[in-house]
Amino acid sequence: MSEHEFHPLVKQLLDGDITLAALPPELRAEGQEALRLLAAVDRTPVQLLAISQHVMQKIAVRPLPERSVWRRVVAPREVRLRIRPWLLAPALAIAAALILFLRPAPTAAPGSLITVRFVLVAPDAHEVSLAGTFNRWDAHATPLVRSGPTGVWTATLTLAAGQHQYAFVVDGVRWVPDPGAPAVDDGFGRRNSVLTL
Amino acid sequence: MRPEPEADGEIVRAVLAGDRERYAQLVERYRDRYARYAARMLGSADAAEDAVQDAFVRAFDQLSQCKEPDKFVGWFFLILRNRCFAERRRSRTETSLEAAETVAAADRTEGGAETAERRRALQLALMALTPDQREVFVLKHVEGLSYGEIAERLSTSVPSLKMRMHRAYDKLREQLREHT
Repeated sequence: MSEHEFHPLVKQLLDGDITLAALPPELRAEGQEALRLLAAVDRTPVQLLAISQHVMQKIAVRPLPERSVWRRVVAPREVRLRIRPWLLAPALAIAAALILFLRPAPTAAPGSLITVRFVLVAPDAHEVSLAGTFNRWDAHATPLVRSGPTGVWTATLTLAAGQHQYAFVVDGVRWVPDPGAPAVDDGFGRRNSVLTL
Repeated sequence: MRPEPEADGEIVRAVLAGDRERYAQLVERYRDRYARYAARMLGSADAAEDAVQDAFVRAFDQLSQCKEPDKFVGWFFLILRNRCFAERRRSRTETSLEAAETVAAADRTEGGAETAERRRALQLALMALTPDQREVFVLKHVEGLSYGEIAERLSTSVPSLKMRMHRAYDKLREQLREHT
């Protein structure tokens, strides 16, 4: 133990687990030194009255969070405010998604299976997966495969006829609704895309 | 009878539905609660103001990713925490002396010169800790949270926090002995 280390019992004192009186006499002086350290802790409240106005001024010119979710995937902030999601532009590092039906089945009978291809354009993503009601929202269960250098990610699934909700998960952390599909509120402030087969 | 304050979740949902003015309620509710944490983490009231402001703007931008709106404050804390850690990484090479003096200067009217000097010395010593060590010290001894509460907030274990804290105690002792 170096000369600067507090005795383990003194550390218990600092943690509030024991009192100074519980220390053996030979540790009392060290205990008092420790308590002087805590006595110097500054608990003075800090007030930031001015920031409310500053924050509200800043967010007044920003897009509403709901609409900007998917744009945050890869785009620099100063760019994404000026571009539109449906203008796919890999050079601008923008992600967009569309869904293609290999076999559209508008009159699918309940219980029938339909093959669906999910496509996400995310040039700067390192991994993309699909989470939805069909895989219990497991963000790792259904990875998309990158095809070529353009940043197109695809996955082909066979799903039962009916309604499914889903979102893309980019780099394991960003949940991105499909701008090409209708969406519903998931009750927690996030939007889930809806696919009806 | 005073009306019940509106739950965070209700406000978050209203903002996401388009009523951005309601976000001011969240800012006013939590700005001061976390200002002290940021000031002690960054060693400067000015840096704390910038950090808290940025964190609120960032939280607004990412609000739709707040999975549990009723737990907005815990989610916001993590954004502010990341901001404070990033700030320290950016300014690691800068001396913390000036920053510590800025914090201590505000206290001189409250407890006299001796108290201010002790606080200044401790704040300087705090700035010599790693951000992880400083954070656990600030949350426990400045904010008054228990180890259990800190563990829950930071998604870690109590033994791991205690280990971090006990190293912090030793380092603070070393720093205070060297500078007094």
